[in-house]
Amino acid sequence: MERLLALWAEPLSEERPDGSALRDYLRVLDVLGALCPFVEPIRLGLCTLPLRGPSRFFGGDEAVFHAVRESVRDVLGLEVSLGVAEGLFCAELAARQNVVVAAGQTTEFRRTQPLTALGHKELATTGRRLGLYTVGDFADLKSASVAERFSAAVRVLHRVARGELAELPGQRDTRLVARLRSARGEDVVGDEQVGFFGQRSAGDDRAQAAAHRVRHRLGPEGVLVARLHGGRVPEDRASLAPWGSPSRDLRDDAPWPGRLAGPSPTTLLHQPVTVDVRDAFDEPVRMGARGSLSAVPASLVPLRGSRREIVWFAGPWPLVERWWASGRRRAHVQVLLDSGEALLLSAETGRWWLVGIYD
Amino acid sequence: MTGSGYSYEHMFAFPTSRPRLSDDLVATLRPVTLAKSRIIPLSEPWASLTPGRGLRRGSTVLVHAQPGLGGLSVALGLLSEASDKGHWSAVVGVDDPGVVAMSDLGVDLRRVLFVPRPCGAWAETTADLLDGVDLLIVRPPSRAVHATARRLMDRVRERGTVLIVLTEPSSPWPLPVDLSFHLTSSRWMMSSRLDARYVTLRIGGRGEAARRGEHVVMVPDAHGRAVTR
Repeated sequence: MERLLALWAEPLSEERPDGSALRDYLRVLDVLGALCPFVEPIRLGLCTLPLRGPSRFFGGDEAVFHAVRESVRDVLGLEVSLGVAEGLFCAELAARQNVVVAAGQTTEFRRTQPLTALGHKELATTGRRLGLYTVGDFADLKSASVAERFSAAVRVLHRVARGELAELPGQRDTRLVARLRSARGEDVVGDEQVGFFGQRSAGDDRAQAAAHRVRHRLGPEGVLVARLHGGRVPEDRASLAPWGSPSRDLRDDAPWPGRLAGPSPTTLLHQPVTVDVRDAFDEPVRMGARGSLSAVPASLVPLRGSRREIVWFAGPWPLVERWWASGRRRAHVQVLLDSGEALLLSAETGRWWLVGIYD
Repeated sequence: MTGSGYSYEHMFAFPTSRPRLSDDLVATLRPVTLAKSRIIPLSEPWASLTPGRGLRRGSTVLVHAQPGLGGLSVALGLLSEASDKGHWSAVVGVDDPGVVAMSDLGVDLRRVLFVPRPCGAWAETTADLLDGVDLLIVRPPSRAVHATARRLMDRVRERGTVLIVLTEPSSPWPLPVDLSFHLTSSRWMMSSRLDARYVTLRIGGRGEAARRGEHVVMVPDAHGRAVTR
């Protein structure tokens, strides 16, 4: 199996509401792409490249590590951890532990890993009770015995533990490549928007021609069309796509339990901006783990601009989404300012974001 | 199902249940233009507020409000009936349009083009789009130059489009318009969340539109629609 150099950047692994994690990750890929053309994005914060070619080119493994560290530090000022092992599963573990596994030593490395490395909580608990503490202990079980006792998912993990499979299921983010392409603006742009039920009227043609002219003037991102899709909060329920991009006709009629009720903001910030929410004593208001506020919000301090008084607020409405994957927690709060403006705020990772304005 | 209905359905290779085109769209294809086709329809409550129950083609409409108090909701509400009847519209210079709110207001998003950031070329972009759409909302980033406003309004008249200009006190429109909505006050109704907003509109303009007085409209209501109080 090929030796892989894995790069793990913890700060880039968490999605951020303004999308900066994805953009930073993209910049990392771009600088690595200059060193080696075979960089493979795995998921946010993690990418791999084959070590053999670059090692020959740069004159040794250490030279490659040095070049990678230097270039990432140059663009992002970020220290990354690097690891080398055979196969994606071991390469990620090596990167997280910052170790270089020598050629041919990967099996020993894998066997000494704790059983939790397979990322299956119940298996780790059951294994501990059975006296299986490492991946190696688990790998020594007979396939037939594992098949008898455990589910299909664990059978796959068993094959990973034995080294028959190189990567865990779900280790790769399958949508990442598409997201990176759209972040780079490389979306496939079709020729035209398909008309209403595929039929065309004179009005449709005139609108097409006008949109073409504006796109010519402002570039491909200049003219946008709206798409509605499912979601609980306004910022998830709709998106704007470049005019002419292939349309996915998703309808917004499925029920979404826990959807934010009432009117939606007429201005929805494409990139939410951070704001400060303070209480009556000018202390920052925090969102607790159970979705309660530490104090009553009294004023709003935008990053730029003057302080605004909050005369009324509603919420918070916590939104626990994808708890099985990222543990992402958001909560929304509506506030009314003394000027009469109503705003939608969201709290995430200890910060407040202005999401929408009820203009 | 009757036999004749069955055969009728299968006579055509394409579905016969086409969306009904509005009368005024059909009328534009005729050689003679009827007076009625010069009006772009409005939904309630807007229809009852305007002379002729619609927006006259070639006219310029002004929606003036303090930022954040509901001017955008009023402007977007004016699109709803027309987009539902098959007219195309465009929204220029509104940075981050709330698409869900537009859909709640009754706007058919399939026929709306957005140019959120015209990058300093808002007047040129607006002029380009005036040829292609029937209604156009534009929010000038600053006070429009007299000559630019004049040129745009001439173009609107020539093309038979309706231009809806959304202005704030910092970006006034330098010319008199055909119909204007001045948002004088706005008040939210709250329960455990924001429920509805009453906005007071002073309506004015030329001819019949002048002296139409003040009206209170609820926009949005609890379902995001615009209704008469």
